[in-house]
Amino acid sequence: MKELRLMKGNEAIAEAAIRAGADAYFGYPITPQSEVIEYLMAEKPHERTGMVVLQAESEVAAINMVYGAAACGKRAMTSSSSPGISLKQEGISYIAGAELPCLILNVVRGGPGLGTIQPSQSDYFQATKGGGHGDYRLIVLAPASVQEMYDFVKLSFDLAFKYRNPVMILSDGVIGQMMEKVEIGEQYPRLTNEQIDELYPWATTGKKPGKDRRIITSLELDPGRQEQHNLKLQAKYKKMQEEEVRYEALNCEDAEYLLVAFGSSARICQKAMDLGRAKGLKIGLLRPITLFPFPSKILHELATKVKGMLTVEMNAGQMVEDVRLAVCGKVKVEHYGRFGGMIPSPAEVLHALETKIIGG
Amino acid sequence: MMPGGTPMSNEHPQINNTIPKSPYPLTREDFISDQMVKWCPGCGDHAILSAVSKVFPEIGYKKENYVLVSGIGCSSRFPYYVNTYGFHGIHGRAMAIASGVKIANPSLSVWIITGDGDSMAIGGNHFIHLIRRNIDVNLLLFNNQIYGLTKGQYSPTSPLGAITKTSPYGTIEHPFTPGELVLGAQGTFFARGIDAQPKMLTEIMFEAARHDGTSVVEVLQNCVIFNDGAYDHLASREYRDERTIYLEQGKPMLFGANKDKGLRWNGSGLEVIKLGENGWGINDVLVHDATNPDPGLHLSLAKMNWPELPVAFGVIRSVKAPTYDDLMEEQIQRIKAQSPIKCMDDLLNSGDTWEIE
Repeated sequence: MKELRLMKGNEAIAEAAIRAGADAYFGYPITPQSEVIEYLMAEKPHERTGMVVLQAESEVAAINMVYGAAACGKRAMTSSSSPGISLKQEGISYIAGAELPCLILNVVRGGPGLGTIQPSQSDYFQATKGGGHGDYRLIVLAPASVQEMYDFVKLSFDLAFKYRNPVMILSDGVIGQMMEKVEIGEQYPRLTNEQIDELYPWATTGKKPGKDRRIITSLELDPGRQEQHNLKLQAKYKKMQEEEVRYEALNCEDAEYLLVAFGSSARICQKAMDLGRAKGLKIGLLRPITLFPFPSKILHELATKVKGMLTVEMNAGQMVEDVRLAVCGKVKVEHYGRFGGMIPSPAEVLHALETKIIGG
Repeated sequence: MMPGGTPMSNEHPQINNTIPKSPYPLTREDFISDQMVKWCPGCGDHAILSAVSKVFPEIGYKKENYVLVSGIGCSSRFPYYVNTYGFHGIHGRAMAIASGVKIANPSLSVWIITGDGDSMAIGGNHFIHLIRRNIDVNLLLFNNQIYGLTKGQYSPTSPLGAITKTSPYGTIEHPFTPGELVLGAQGTFFARGIDAQPKMLTEIMFEAARHDGTSVVEVLQNCVIFNDGAYDHLASREYRDERTIYLEQGKPMLFGANKDKGLRWNGSGLEVIKLGENGWGINDVLVHDATNPDPGLHLSLAKMNWPELPVAFGVIRSVKAPTYDDLMEEQIQRIKAQSPIKCMDDLLNSGDTWEIE
């Protein structure tokens, strides 16, 4: 018998972290994701699994605590919302440069600046194109349900350690705050220090006789060697693009028109698709689950089958650039967006599809 | 101290700097904005807003020469509600933003509005460096010992063991005493007031405005929703006389309903003595001198906490020291005077010059 619970998206993340065998969470309150740390504190994970939870003095402190814990080979994570994620970018760049695994959750709110506390998807560029300085990428997962918030935590840690790379869950205020039924998975044990030492030869677990010193750094002053390091990173990102692309395709087999959307926008598009299908319009929905690596290949294939694509995003048009790159001019691609915390309705989306693509 | 009952004067003799004075008297109505105040009913912030709107016309600067700079938090909504120039800044960064404002335009009276989360947590770094530089700005620190805007998590001033949303089993962090931090950063002005005593608050704010350099005013403030009653043990009429002391310049440090208790330095620390008991008299009681350059006693006074000692209100420290603004201006003028370059020709003919033939 599976355990089912009614949870907020933010609570699902927190419960999933304990269940995934996470070692440490460091965070700082910000709307709309403060429930993550509140749930963790209330659940006493130090008693359930030994996981530690700390409220830092700022988002900058929290990401650097993650940097430290990750260097020890521990499963470390932080969470925040857009303005706080901007503050973490320095640390994220260093963690990517030092090739350490960790999980960062962004429950996106409208920007720029302090913006609003309402949902948005305007951090797509920041999440998928780097965010901080230097040539690096995060694996970016975009949940569209509370269940996926739960499921992606374990997946994120697995991918982070597989690639020694930070992973970001790019959620938004809708998914973070809404309540849905969640199937709770099993409790994975936290790794022991001996297991960490065995599994992760890079982890700073203490100099032992006969073993090399391990130094965590993102600095290489010799440009030749720094180039080699960059090439190694790029090879890693290429491997992610070959092996880790995830998406959901709905009604794409006979689709004449394609909606492309991630996260909560995809949920809205699903309803818009149903409304359109009821009117006899052959609409499909392609939902990227990994925003990096981006599902370019399937979009490229679909470009030869459909008459037009509409990306629906709660931003001014960010993912649409990646869709256009993927289809390479083969088909018309338009964008429909609401921003600043406004959420489009399914009828609005269908109307946009009809005017911009079908009738356009 | 503010002259009680005297009509407001636009040429206040005690305010003496380069900020332009208003040519006509201003009233508190001049400083009330048309914005709806969105703090919870009963929030201590209302009392602080009221105090500021009384003090600003009293200080007498032109309305357009005031600027309020805030960070993020409940307190930081303040600039919307005061009819002056305002800057709703970045979480923890109000101190840095205000530094930029004051250095770029010294003719402004700059008031930083910040809270215990904004200035003690994420802004702790900027807070100490503002004070260390002694930039001539005023800082009002609303200390409610809780994160109010994010709905009830513990802050760096929450007492050890405080039960909050992120410390359901009690915090395990040692709180900051803001005054200790101010003095540790070589602060030249520190005062403490409480929302429940608005008259004292206006007096303190006026002293802060008068001070040249960074003046920090900590205001103990009640959060009616997430930390209600945090200062009831100090603020209520029942307790305030016995548990707090109002320090006044040049006066003996006496407190209690009958002013029969005093503070004495016992050789290694402060202690409370009762006049008439054990032979103690008024001469054993310390006399407050906020202007003493040595911060030692000021630190002890700032740290006092009930039940061991009464909590100190009033201006604890106010010493003269060069301000960053003055030093910068002085340096610019000195270098300019020493420079051999007085005009464009001097510049073109300076350094290595050569002719192309």
